Amino acid sequence: MAPRRSAGGSGAEMAAGGRAARGAAAAQSVCMVSDFFYPNMGGVESHIYQLSQCLIERGHKVLVVTHAYGGRRGVRYLSNGLKVYYLPLRVMYNQSTATTLFHSLPLLRCIFLRERVSVVHAHSSFSAMAHDALFHAKTMGLRTVFTDHSLFGFADVSSVLTNKLLTVSLCDTNHIICVSYTSKENTVLRAALDPRIVSVIPNAVDPTDFTPDPSRRDDGTVTIVVVSRLVYRKGIDLLSGIIPELCQKYPELHFLVGGEGPKRIVLEEVRERYQLHDRVRLLGALEHQDVRNVLVQGHIFLNTSLTEAFCMAIVEAASCGLQVVSTKVGGIPEVLPENLIILCEPSVKSLCDGLEKAIAQLRSGTLPSPEAVHNKVKTFYTWRDVAERTEKVYERVAGEKVLPMNERLDRLISHCGPVTGYIFALLAVLNFLFLVFLRWMTPDSIIDVAIDATGPKGAWTKQYFSGKKGRVKEEPPIS
Amino acid sequence: MQSQERPFRSASGEPLALRRRQHSASCRELALRRPRLQLRSLSAVTSAVWLAAYGVFVLSENSMVLSAAIFITLVGLIIYLHFVKIDQESLLVIGSLGIQLTSSYASGKESTTFIEMSRVKDVVINEAIYMQKVIYYLCILLKDPQDPQGVSEVVPLFQSSQPRLDCLMEVYKSCQEILDQRKEAPQSSGIK
Repeated sequence: MAPRRSAGGSGAEMAAGGRAARGAAAAQSVCMVSDFFYPNMGGVESHIYQLSQCLIERGHKVLVVTHAYGGRRGVRYLSNGLKVYYLPLRVMYNQSTATTLFHSLPLLRCIFLRERVSVVHAHSSFSAMAHDALFHAKTMGLRTVFTDHSLFGFADVSSVLTNKLLTVSLCDTNHIICVSYTSKENTVLRAALDPRIVSVIPNAVDPTDFTPDPSRRDDGTVTIVVVSRLVYRKGIDLLSGIIPELCQKYPELHFLVGGEGPKRIVLEEVRERYQLHDRVRLLGALEHQDVRNVLVQGHIFLNTSLTEAFCMAIVEAASCGLQVVSTKVGGIPEVLPENLIILCEPSVKSLCDGLEKAIAQLRSGTLPSPEAVHNKVKTFYTWRDVAERTEKVYERVAGEKVLPMNERLDRLISHCGPVTGYIFALLAVLNFLFLVFLRWMTPDSIIDVAIDATGPKGAWTKQYFSGKKGRVKEEPPIS
Repeated sequence: MQSQERPFRSASGEPLALRRRQHSASCRELALRRPRLQLRSLSAVTSAVWLAAYGVFVLSENSMVLSAAIFITLVGLIIYLHFVKIDQESLLVIGSLGIQLTSSYASGKESTTFIEMSRVKDVVINEAIYMQKVIYYLCILLKDPQDPQGVSEVVPLFQSSQPRLDCLMEVYKSCQEILDQRKEAPQSSGIK
């Protein structure tokens, strides 16, 4: 799958101007690392892609490192020369690679060196590769930034373990980015961080992708749209309680559910039991580009998430002009202003009340028009804004010093508790020795510097591409 | 006939020598020579095997071990020289005919592949993850007979010497000069 070209035609001129004005000094060479990237689909993947594209537009050099997806391994290029390394590492669970903390060092070191990376930006706390990359980058003395995309609990065993790991991983990271204030609070508590090194930069949506189209709606009925993965975290059990209750009360009510997951069976059961086949449509997994076509068919968007750091789905829905009804959990209350969203407690009764309120507003015609909502929402979250703010983080990080080895060990021991601290301090030392060994085996000087292909001024210009469409391999410049 | 030789390094730091021979305007030979088998490493490996065999002999008191060691060393050396150790890899580009790839083994054995010019789509430099490294390599793209725009196969060049980017650029430019002549005058490069 080839991700679509982001930004309009003005991108090229803007970037050229940006690069010229900025000069070489401030331009960073950023390496995004995460297990999650295209062709896998999801919020983190599109976040990395869009952020990278906007950073390239602003004159930085960006590359993405992820693990191989099936036959997609090696080095690939996306729009504007965004270089993606698909490393052949073994996938262990849920598209996350196995971590031994050491085995990825030779490859990552090679990439960091040949691309002259100055900032390593890791994404998602679920990604083992991101943590590995942070660990290696710190050993190599590179600056590190981490973006956390999700919320965690504190109580069960798995979150206690992940939290410990996060504490270790983040205690010597230069800067951390969270997607909402709730997420920041959560991360600071989980990883016992200094809140001053945590910034909040929300996610964004591409408003040109999510435009309203009232003609696609059927105004004889009221359609409630749900687009989410059908998993426990998204509150599908609540949804299965809401559907029969509201369908009994409102005969003209229809449900449109997009998404796939283990909880689909629950919804199918409900549909079977209450004979709602004509009124509850389950669409199954949706491609990203189809989401908008599903959203515009509805009047009301329902989000039943039980935990959410920053809900992209409700911004997308509001951008399509739908009235949003959502649970009041995590970072959701921060996302949209009160007049665009109806917030409910995460219970069937409260959500039904919220939906009834929305239906009543819809019938009385007091809802703002989809166009008006779209025009409002499109100014809230843009990728350019996200990139600008991320750039500020990079600038700040560039001014900071990387902890030298002895201070890093002190930090690990004093910060992560006596047992974990010493274990990871030992691992850090071993990692450093391994790095010394690698430097002896293949000295830095014999690793070739990669040709910079990023941006419209890079070696791979648009004009060069246009003549040779459908080509798999690219050539270096003929100088 | 012009001939020139320049020193380069391989991706693993080994010294290489690139020899360029200009036979005519559309015929060029590029050869990469790797260092020959060093007497030092040969004797190091041999003595290591023999010492190990002697150790086993002392423990097991079976003299078969010693003869086996001699035998293994000899056979190993022959296999190594004959099938593994490549001394020189060369690329002969003839604009009107095709590209010939030759690898010469240390024993003197040569293996040759010839690719007709009509099948050659282009010669490009690509990046690949090789072992625990990311390296640049030169490869020939072959045309897909069904789809004139497509690529049916990728033939990597200089697989055993793995030269670094500066050397690859040199070879790449030489090849492109000849391939460009073919593009400029497709008729004249045919059979006359």
